[in-house]
Amino acid sequence: MTTSPTLHPAAPARETTPVTGAAPRPRRPRRAPEPPTALLSKAGVTALLGLATLYTLLPLTWLLLSSTKSREDLFGTNGFALGDETHLADNLGHLFEADGGVYARWLINTVLYAGVGALLAAVFSVAAGYAFDKLSFPGKERLFSLVLLGVMVPGTAMAIPLYLLAAEAGLVNTFWGVFIPGLVFPFGVYLARVFSASYVPDEVLEAARMDGAGEFRTFCRIAFPMVAPGFVTIFLFQFTQIWNSFFLPLVMLSDQDLYPVNLGLYVWYSSALTQGHPEDYLLAVVGSLVAVAPLIAVFLMLQRFWKSGMTAGAVK
Amino acid sequence: MLRRTTAALAGSVTALALLATACGGGADQGASSTAAKKTGEVTFWSFVKGSDKVAEAFNRSHPDIEVTFETVPSGQEYYSKLTNAVKAGTAPDVAVVEFPHLPEFAAQGKVEDLTGLLGPVVRERFPDAARQLVDLGGRTWGVPRDAAPLMMMYRKDFFTRHKIDVPTTWDAYRNMTEQVKKADPAARGGVLYTDNPGLLSALSWQAGGRWFSTEKDSWKVTVDDGPSKKVAAYWGDLARKDLVRSLSQLDPFWTSVQKNRTVAYVCASWCAGAHQATVPDQKGKWAVAPVPTWDGKPASGMYGGSSFVIPKGSDNSGAAAEFIKWITTDPEGMKAWVSSGTSSMFPADPKLVPVTKAAFTTDYYGGQDIYTLMAQSYNAIRPGWTWGPVMGATNTAIVDQLPKVADGSVTLPGVLAIAEKATITQMEQRGLKVATP
Repeated sequence: MTTSPTLHPAAPARETTPVTGAAPRPRRPRRAPEPPTALLSKAGVTALLGLATLYTLLPLTWLLLSSTKSREDLFGTNGFALGDETHLADNLGHLFEADGGVYARWLINTVLYAGVGALLAAVFSVAAGYAFDKLSFPGKERLFSLVLLGVMVPGTAMAIPLYLLAAEAGLVNTFWGVFIPGLVFPFGVYLARVFSASYVPDEVLEAARMDGAGEFRTFCRIAFPMVAPGFVTIFLFQFTQIWNSFFLPLVMLSDQDLYPVNLGLYVWYSSALTQGHPEDYLLAVVGSLVAVAPLIAVFLMLQRFWKSGMTAGAVK
Repeated sequence: MLRRTTAALAGSVTALALLATACGGGADQGASSTAAKKTGEVTFWSFVKGSDKVAEAFNRSHPDIEVTFETVPSGQEYYSKLTNAVKAGTAPDVAVVEFPHLPEFAAQGKVEDLTGLLGPVVRERFPDAARQLVDLGGRTWGVPRDAAPLMMMYRKDFFTRHKIDVPTTWDAYRNMTEQVKKADPAARGGVLYTDNPGLLSALSWQAGGRWFSTEKDSWKVTVDDGPSKKVAAYWGDLARKDLVRSLSQLDPFWTSVQKNRTVAYVCASWCAGAHQATVPDQKGKWAVAPVPTWDGKPASGMYGGSSFVIPKGSDNSGAAAEFIKWITTDPEGMKAWVSSGTSSMFPADPKLVPVTKAAFTTDYYGGQDIYTLMAQSYNAIRPGWTWGPVMGATNTAIVDQLPKVADGSVTLPGVLAIAEKATITQMEQRGLKVATP
């Protein structure tokens, strides 16, 4: 939004300075019809963005408001209005007490699956991407095409094969069954290669080698800090991916104590209304609110890294 | 009639099972040699409320068997999870399967044949209404827990205030919905769920429809047979004339009940408990009535209900069978299911009705004897109903079209024809023999 208006006046200004007198004249008739279309496109873009904002914020608003309601108000009052009484504290209390406090357990599991998993995935991705960019080894490009192939295959399609593999390895219904697949992130490797190419000049590495640093030391002390924004970007990508992954934990886990939070919420939600346990429905609503909070927090905290990381990749 | 069907089914289902085992391969060969051992560990998957209590109670009274209960989500996701678990050899020893999905699991060879272990129990304890759903091709594939005979729920206060009679026939039901709408333009006397074909199939069943049957060694698919078409035309008409509410989910349904906008609806035995838990502040306003029928004579079908199976590959089927027997036919087991006091489930074993009746207080319904009504409905369930071997595909085909019924872009009998076509296509893809009707 902010870049396009500043670019437009700048372009004609640069043109008009060398050519004097004659140049502004042909431009004037052209400029006259421009404002309506510019205005139109501006209005159009704003309207579209407004729609997208509504699309994003309305469900969150419903979630926020519904979480404060009692069970009667949840069905008895408008979804986008406040209930008669505020029950948020009560609801939160119930949430963390239900089924022996299993919700806190789910949160911890999710932080382990998504947080630790994405952290390691990002480390591996950056290391691999750096190696693909800076080192030369036999079969490099062929291996890289294999990585790209991995980018193309959607995660959900991999869930069943992974499950069958995990069954062979005896990892079904264990922490590792969900954790280990989260460490593999081909798209991160691809991104890391792009980041490494744009952030880490070869000259710097040469200088480091001249000064006697080994390959590993060069990577850790010189290259890694330089691709830090890329690292954060990859981390965030994988973090959201694991946080939102549903089908893999669904087939992999059956022990409730190992569930990530989204699967747990689904268990509550899916049987709440059909089996006449509306309190579980309310738990699922409040639980969803609590579950999106960390995601929002992580994004707000790491946003500046994310932004710089995105643009860096785009320019190159 | 029933006997002939089952005899005919025998050939087809065993053939199907053979086919499935041959194709699936790698299934446990040793599992069919049923060890009489009744000790050891049993894992148990269920989404049914009270499952944790049942497992605890069983462990207390059976020190030789250790049951580990694992909560799973309900719905189509659960069935794909169970299917994959059988494929990978990581399936539990006991799992819940709702009646409509049982033939699919049996035909694919994903569940153990329980004829030897539990067949006698099923024959002895359960009436035809429930047995016809777990016995396929003369073999027993599961043990019923609860039946779900149809009932009607209505707002007593609303009906009295506006002098509306409780309908006993479907003609009278239509009049009732008109009277309700006239009395209160915001209120409706029924619901057509557009995300779940369960009620539609139950009502077709009640009208004498048969969506599936078998002939020699092939399946006959008649989703749009005469009675089913009659039912579909009736409900499609009510929905299009806005006499019943067309609702996509249970959330807006309960909202409409809470806001006094739904004053009557057709449901099953379990709804009484679900209703009082979800709308507790309308206590005393609701009553339960027998489901209306076409000719005024008692007739019913099932909307829901579940059974327990031993998935293929279980390595402790002896203990698993013992557990299944206890949770479906033992009074103590049934007591554990309903120990929370909030469930109005109707046990498929009629001998256990007193247990559930004692656990469910009917203050909410003004002390009405709802279990007697349920028992009458259970006895009136029409024989001869079989669920199909690709119910997932059948249901999806119906649900895809249902939302378009109310605005008239498709007719409900037309939806059944579409579902029939989709079902046959899916069955042929799976290599199941389909007889031309």
